[in-house]
Amino acid sequence: MTALDVLWVGLGGGLGSLLRWWVGRVVGERYRSDFPLGTFLINISGAVPMGYLSVLFAVDWHTRHGTVLTALCLTGIIGGYTTFSSMQMDAVKLAGARGQVRAASYLGLSVVAGLLAAALGGALALVRG
Amino acid sequence: MVNFVILVMVGGGLGAMLREFVMLMVPNPVNGFPLDILAANLLAAFLLGLVTALHRRQILSDDVNMLLGVGIMGGMSTFSSFVYGSVVLMHASIASAVVASVYVVVSLALGYLAIIVGDKLGSRAHRPVPAAAGGAQ
Repeated sequence: MTALDVLWVGLGGGLGSLLRWWVGRVVGERYRSDFPLGTFLINISGAVPMGYLSVLFAVDWHTRHGTVLTALCLTGIIGGYTTFSSMQMDAVKLAGARGQVRAASYLGLSVVAGLLAAALGGALALVRG
Repeated sequence: MVNFVILVMVGGGLGAMLREFVMLMVPNPVNGFPLDILAANLLAAFLLGLVTALHRRQILSDDVNMLLGVGIMGGMSTFSSFVYGSVVLMHASIASAVVASVYVVVSLALGYLAIIVGDKLGSRAHRPVPAAAGGAQ
């Protein structure tokens, strides 16, 4: 990790965060409910490419592109796009509105779907060629 | 609108770099437990709880909330590395799978608590006294 890599992380994180905000807004405008669908969709849709690209970079591209792509795409864009803190904030709000069982179900559902999505992404990269 | 785009982008970039620094500073134990990601996520959750409470009380403006809450804390925390790290551990061995399960449960429980602690602190914090009270108005 060099100083330049940190800058790639910053650039990617800015782009990923912007995308997160935009997707959250679009989903929030179209879907009104207590269930935090925006954060849920953001996190699951980020977990798939995280799995896919992590495997791809580790297997094929590591020697060719070094750490730049990892810093920009994985740590930066996808890391900045998905969010753990908003998920927990949603859960706390959900607990206030619908009770702790709903909040726990939301967290459980997010994690199970996220684990499956990340595993799916990794598997896709392995069977690809 | 353009303001928000800039605030979220700058905040998200700073947050992601902060996450990288936290991860470089926090060592991972030998059993593979991803302590570095956990530290970044818990710090971000705590700060998000704090900022959201201060914004609710209008101590922080919408712009500052956008920069800090959506930008920096959102960029600092990460869900994708959290679940992918767990999948990698689960694949490695039975012992690692146990570590991964503990990691998931601990992350969820402590992350939830971190929001509540941050929120409590932000709800109790004293409102700053305006510097120019009784001034030009």
